[in-house]
Amino acid sequence: MVTSLLETKWHVPVRRLGAVARPRLSGRLSRGTAARLSLVCAPAGFGKTTLLTQWLAQIHELSAEDAPAAAWVSLDERDNDPATFWMYVITAIQQAANGTIGTVALGLLQPLQPPPEVALALLLNDLLAYGGEMVLVLDDYHVIDRMEIHKALSYVIDHLPAHVHVMMATRADPPLPLSRMRARGELVELRSADLRFTHEEAADYLSGPMGLTLTAADIATLADRTEGWAAALQLAGLSLQDRDDPSAVVARFAGDDRFIVDYLADEVLARQSDDVRDFLLATCILERFNGSLCDAVTGRSGGAAQLVELERAGLFLVPLDDRRQWWRYHHLFADVLRAHLHEQTPDRAPKLHERAADWLQANGEVAEAVRHALASGQFAHAADLMELSMLAMQRERREPELAHWVRALPADVLQQRPVLALAFIGALAQASEFETLEERLTAIERCVRGESDTWPPRPPPELVVVDESGFAALPAGIETYRAALRLAAGDLGGTAAHSRAALSLAPPESNLIRAAAGALGGLASWTAGDLAGAYAAYTESVAGLAAVGFFPDVLGCTITLGDIHRTQGALSGALGVYRRALDLADEKADGLPLRGSADMHVGIAGVLLERDDLAGAAEQLAICERLGEHNGLPQNPYRRRVVAARLAEATGDYGRALALLDEAVGAYNGDYSPNVQPVPALRARLRLRRGELEPANHWAQENELSADDDPSYLREYEHLILARLLIARRDTASLVQASTLLGRLLIAADEGERCGSVIEVLVLQGLLLHSCQDLPRALAVLARAVDLAEAEGYVRLFADEGPDMATLLKGLARQRIRSSYVRRLLDATQRGGQRISPQQGGLIEPLSERELDVLRLLATELDGPDIARRLHVSLNTMRTHSRNIFRKLQVNNRRAAVRQATELDLLPTRRQS
Amino acid sequence: MNSEPANRRNGDGSYQIQVRGQLAARWDSWFDGFTLSRPGDGTTVLTGSVIDQAALLGTLRKIADLGVPLISVTPTDFV
Repeated sequence: MVTSLLETKWHVPVRRLGAVARPRLSGRLSRGTAARLSLVCAPAGFGKTTLLTQWLAQIHELSAEDAPAAAWVSLDERDNDPATFWMYVITAIQQAANGTIGTVALGLLQPLQPPPEVALALLLNDLLAYGGEMVLVLDDYHVIDRMEIHKALSYVIDHLPAHVHVMMATRADPPLPLSRMRARGELVELRSADLRFTHEEAADYLSGPMGLTLTAADIATLADRTEGWAAALQLAGLSLQDRDDPSAVVARFAGDDRFIVDYLADEVLARQSDDVRDFLLATCILERFNGSLCDAVTGRSGGAAQLVELERAGLFLVPLDDRRQWWRYHHLFADVLRAHLHEQTPDRAPKLHERAADWLQANGEVAEAVRHALASGQFAHAADLMELSMLAMQRERREPELAHWVRALPADVLQQRPVLALAFIGALAQASEFETLEERLTAIERCVRGESDTWPPRPPPELVVVDESGFAALPAGIETYRAALRLAAGDLGGTAAHSRAALSLAPPESNLIRAAAGALGGLASWTAGDLAGAYAAYTESVAGLAAVGFFPDVLGCTITLGDIHRTQGALSGALGVYRRALDLADEKADGLPLRGSADMHVGIAGVLLERDDLAGAAEQLAICERLGEHNGLPQNPYRRRVVAARLAEATGDYGRALALLDEAVGAYNGDYSPNVQPVPALRARLRLRRGELEPANHWAQENELSADDDPSYLREYEHLILARLLIARRDTASLVQASTLLGRLLIAADEGERCGSVIEVLVLQGLLLHSCQDLPRALAVLARAVDLAEAEGYVRLFADEGPDMATLLKGLARQRIRSSYVRRLLDATQRGGQRISPQQGGLIEPLSERELDVLRLLATELDGPDIARRLHVSLNTMRTHSRNIFRKLQVNNRRAAVRQATELDLLPTRRQS
Repeated sequence: MNSEPANRRNGDGSYQIQVRGQLAARWDSWFDGFTLSRPGDGTTVLTGSVIDQAALLGTLRKIADLGVPLISVTPTDFV
């Protein structure tokens, strides 16, 4: 199998031919593994990589079992992006550990990234659990200059378990807290002075691998003149091979004050055959190459054999994989060769780059091909290649690189390419560079449509379109970016309109466009209170996201779909979307929890809680807890605390509920969603329930809430709390205000088809009328609320209103309106936080609420998976419950359990579900 | 008062960079915007201007990449 170019990134380089052992240095490296970091810092050509490679090979030969696992990353300029950098590092560690660790951390670097610290914390846990000795080598770290990467690496080094050691080869000191590490003895350093060859090492090298016979004086002269610089010594050795009078050559070299690498490289190149010299000059434009790529560039054959031959001859070739398929030149030597190429044949490089681009394109390395096409000055070809790789770049979220390429194109080349120009606009929008976008969008329209009002089915002849499907998607793409621009400008109506236009214009296969346009329009409609429009748009978005495989984003949108359902009073609809999203997550995530699954469980918990299934809600929150923070989306930290607070409230633990809401305020992250249920409002509501008016008054003042406000969806929740506050004040003026406010809220909620809000307004109107001593009307209004609420099983919406609600519900019960449901509501309201359990006399260990739920379902015809599904738990959880039930009832099968339960009267017929 | 001319705030302006070793003529076009001269004392002097600090650092990095020891960096357009 052919090694791919990418795999060479984390391949531990094989030991270099012709390298000499340097025990004084390898000894220091071995001793250094007790420290956190080994820094090998010296200029190009000092033998940093060779030293590390050799040391690894050596300790492996010494004892393969005791040698640490080696994770190696060869860095280059393109790795200067946090996600890319950590992807390579974690992959290297994963491979070093034979795939046993790192999978979850790696998964977190996929689209919708959490803060990288979360992934890194997981990686550190993995490494701790792995337990084996490991070294992580970061070669050429000087190419990294992003501060985020330095900071994160510093964090990782600080928290590494003792059995993991980082080694860094670099030409410049990295901006890590080196002096602190030095002071604490956490740092081992090998610097230029250490890496310079001593006279003895120079003698070993020149007489050993180089096979030269030189006098001690000649060796001393060479070592002095090269100052022990490995690359120069190697060049010197090469230039001395097969000389009749080496001493004369050494003397001439010593007396010359040219830059030593210039002098020696001239000598070495002059001694190569024409073929070899030409091969070196032609291939030096390549960063990494194999035999076939070399053949394409030189226009000859035999490249693979030539490369092996060059390595044997010591001509600065670095093998990048075990099979010696991929290679690179030593950086310094490549620079020297490029300068020679430029001097001798200044016009040749573009042609060579062009051939390289063709080969790379044909072999599927399109991104590499783009770089060479740009270097060749073949901008049209480069632009074609960009257009071909555009979708993949977008899917991999590498827009910054795409933008970097496009910026290298001359303006006229880009102007002829509407599809690429639109991708560039996407990259600019991604980077929040909105200033020129409208102008660019109009320019694309103008160049495609000309004076006509309609889009041509095929591109006009003067334009270049490589990606035909991209051309078909242009009108929809333009509308999508217009929607984004309108949203950035705060124009909700405009956003929704452009989003609708985009969705109607998008070809069915343009999933990314549907995903983006749907999300933009959904957000705008939702913020404006148009729930049906928002639901339709988000549903489109979810379909598009699922089709391109952005599953965490699907779950993110599902949070919103669930919220919309709940506002519309469709609790079962909300459960349905959470459930389907979890099914999708199960199916797509290869057995690992998908990021966002924690949020689905929080959503389910909220619905179960509303239905007064406190045990079920608690269980869902526990699942969320087990999944951990890294499986939650940005809103999760605050949302799960809100649901936990309501659960605590429902069980009568106000102190805990308040503490959780306080935490939720600090943990708030809206993740670009409108804040329709602000946590401070929830806190004011809880305070009111405890009879504390003062904090609630303060909250209303602080948020400038007034009964005269125009009703708006965004403030609806706050207005509902304000109404509760006004009712609680009990003075006539406040009651009048509450009455007008609720009247207007009812109309607005009704018009917005927000049934959930309608029920809540009716509940409050009932309480208000009760306060006004108008019991008949209070009961009539509440009866309407009960009518609307029964089908979806609302309970807490009534029960959380306390004693006044109990009075009203008793009134309804007397009128025999919806009696079984009203009795249930009354039970829950009067329970006052005390969960009523059925009698469990005769059992040593009583069954928990949840076990009773399972038991009730065991008495039905449902099978295990159905029961699990009904209770929104995994089959495993449900089996654990069954086992506990069997143990407590002292039976060993389902039928016996049901029989026993019936005898003990644990299955009251009235509560069977 | 600040003794630097205003245009130096971004590190732009002219510089003279001296390195050890006499660089061959083929490097003349290697360092964008700089001309190379060889005073004959075993050093090479690069003279040129850069648009900002980042460009200056880029040139210094190119020098470091060749392993040429740096002797001095001197701004030359002080008034």
